[in-house]
Amino acid sequence: KYLCIDTTTKVTALALAEDDHLVAEGFLHTIRNHSERLIPMLDQLLGAAAWCLNDLDLIGVVRGPGSFTGIRIGIATAQAFALVLKIPLLGVLSLEALAWAGYGRNGDIVPILDARKNEWYTARYSWNLSEEKAVCLDQPQAAKPDQWLEKLAALDRPVWFAGDAVAAAREKIRQILGDKACLLPEFESLPRGAYAARTVWEKWLEKEQGEMVVPYYIRLSEAEVTWAKRRLEREAAADGR
Amino acid sequence: MSRKCQSNETGTVKGNNNIFILGIETSCDETSAAVLLNGTELLSHIITSQIGTHQKYGGVVPEIASREHSLHWQAVVQQALDQAELAYSDLTAIAVTYGPGLVGSLLVGVSAAKAIAYALHIPLVGINHLEGHIYANFLHTPDLEFPLLALLVSGGHTHLIFFRGHGDFQVLGRTRDDAAGEALDKIARVLGLGYPGGPQIQLKAREGLATAFDFPRAMLEPGSLDFSFSGVKSSVLNTLNSARMKGQELNVADLAASFQQAIVDVLVRKTKLALKQTGVKTLLLAGGVAANESLRLALACELADMPDQVRLAVPPPLLCTDNGAMIAAAGYYRYIAGDFAPWTLNAVPGLSLA
Ligand SMILES: [Zn+2]
Repeated sequence: KYLCIDTTTKVTALALAEDDHLVAEGFLHTIRNHSERLIPMLDQLLGAAAWCLNDLDLIGVVRGPGSFTGIRIGIATAQAFALVLKIPLLGVLSLEALAWAGYGRNGDIVPILDARKNEWYTARYSWNLSEEKAVCLDQPQAAKPDQWLEKLAALDRPVWFAGDAVAAAREKIRQILGDKACLLPEFESLPRGAYAARTVWEKWLEKEQGEMVVPYYIRLSEAEVTWAKRRLEREAAADGR
Repeated sequence: MSRKCQSNETGTVKGNNNIFILGIETSCDETSAAVLLNGTELLSHIITSQIGTHQKYGGVVPEIASREHSLHWQAVVQQALDQAELAYSDLTAIAVTYGPGLVGSLLVGVSAAKAIAYALHIPLVGINHLEGHIYANFLHTPDLEFPLLALLVSGGHTHLIFFRGHGDFQVLGRTRDDAAGEALDKIARVLGLGYPGGPQIQLKAREGLATAFDFPRAMLEPGSLDFSFSGVKSSVLNTLNSARMKGQELNVADLAASFQQAIVDVLVRKTKLALKQTGVKTLLLAGGVAANESLRLALACELADMPDQVRLAVPPPLLCTDNGAMIAAAGYYRYIAGDFAPWTLNAVPGLSLA
């Protein structure tokens, strides 16, 4: 029995699952923030499922990419549960989990998450159904939407889009990919506890043990980027002298 | 199947008479946790400072601070338990800072604290960081008698607080611009003394003459208990600029000493005024700048000269800067009062005291 937490986007997503069966799922996409709704939602789910935390054998958490603050809320919560309950912890990627939104589709699955600064966190997967596995074709990255879509268009095969950036980018996606663009309805396309749970379960079958979970931000913080840039400039200036 | 789900209310209190509070503090650049027994006995106290990480940026970078808290909170809390020789299941309640501070940093502590309390079925207590600073005094001087007056001076705050009883605060005066610690930090940077500024200025000031420069002491309108440190700050900057234009070299130690003296003078005068206005007989010093020697000395001297006997309480330097022990101390009194936080507790970056 395990609990999965995904707070990497504006959706608070929780799942209680047993092996590969989904037992309970929580989904909230409102203006309230994760900190306010996470534990109350979990409390409701546990109550409704007649489970208690002590029943759990494993905690799964989505460790990014996504909102920096959201990533940390989910991980801190999951880490605390694992510490107190003395059970293993597993971390999975938000993009990996979203590949389940396009389960079994013919074509590539491309999760796109709003990364602000006019970029997406994205990756590219394809389903290998005989192994029940999403194969990663392009590694997780932060990409400029236009360039990324052009690249996908050049592949000339159906591309299924999922993620919280889909809603705002529908037009642009259709424009660039034409009839190769496959858009899922929003309720399938946003992060879900069920997707996280399946991803965690597959990883558990593979590893059979817990791990240290650290945030997966993709990006450095703003200050680190500026500082690195300045250092390069200083070095360039020193070299030029 | 004897395992039973306990009630999910936050109010379950253990039968045991001993009260073990785990205090967690992550509001700025220190990740800290402490276990406090019965409000007075500090069983463990772990503080990891990120100063080294932020030094190259010349100040605390919020996103980096949050990332550091995320990486270190588990080890800090685990060490606090290990040092106290306790298991999670021994804890009575979890106290956590939920504001004011950096929102991303606060959320790491708040999320962790909530999950720990929820998993243990024990109460969660939300603590105002400023209240925490003031309560550091109860760890050191538990026999304090109300009403109290607190002078809270740190990098982010300069407050005079009337403290009527546990949890009952009234802010009598506050800074209208820079906090005292903030002014110290900025001038330290300008003088090339490095970060964090307060301790650096204090060090340099020891070699200098506090009367070398006459910087203004802003007292504002008569009777006001508010502070303003922007005037003295720009006066120092002007002195530096005009010297630079004339090609003069100024004595940095003298500048540091005179500037520090100007700040200390204002803090002391306003504090004496507040003591007179309220008739309170005990002064608590709190916050990072409370570790400043000149301020401690000046207050001790001035209070001794006052007609009424005023008692001065000053926490040891380690309890002046941000720490989990003070949060556990404040948490103890809120726990006793049955003042528990709901599971919806959120970080409030701009949280004020009453
Ligand atoms: Zn502080």
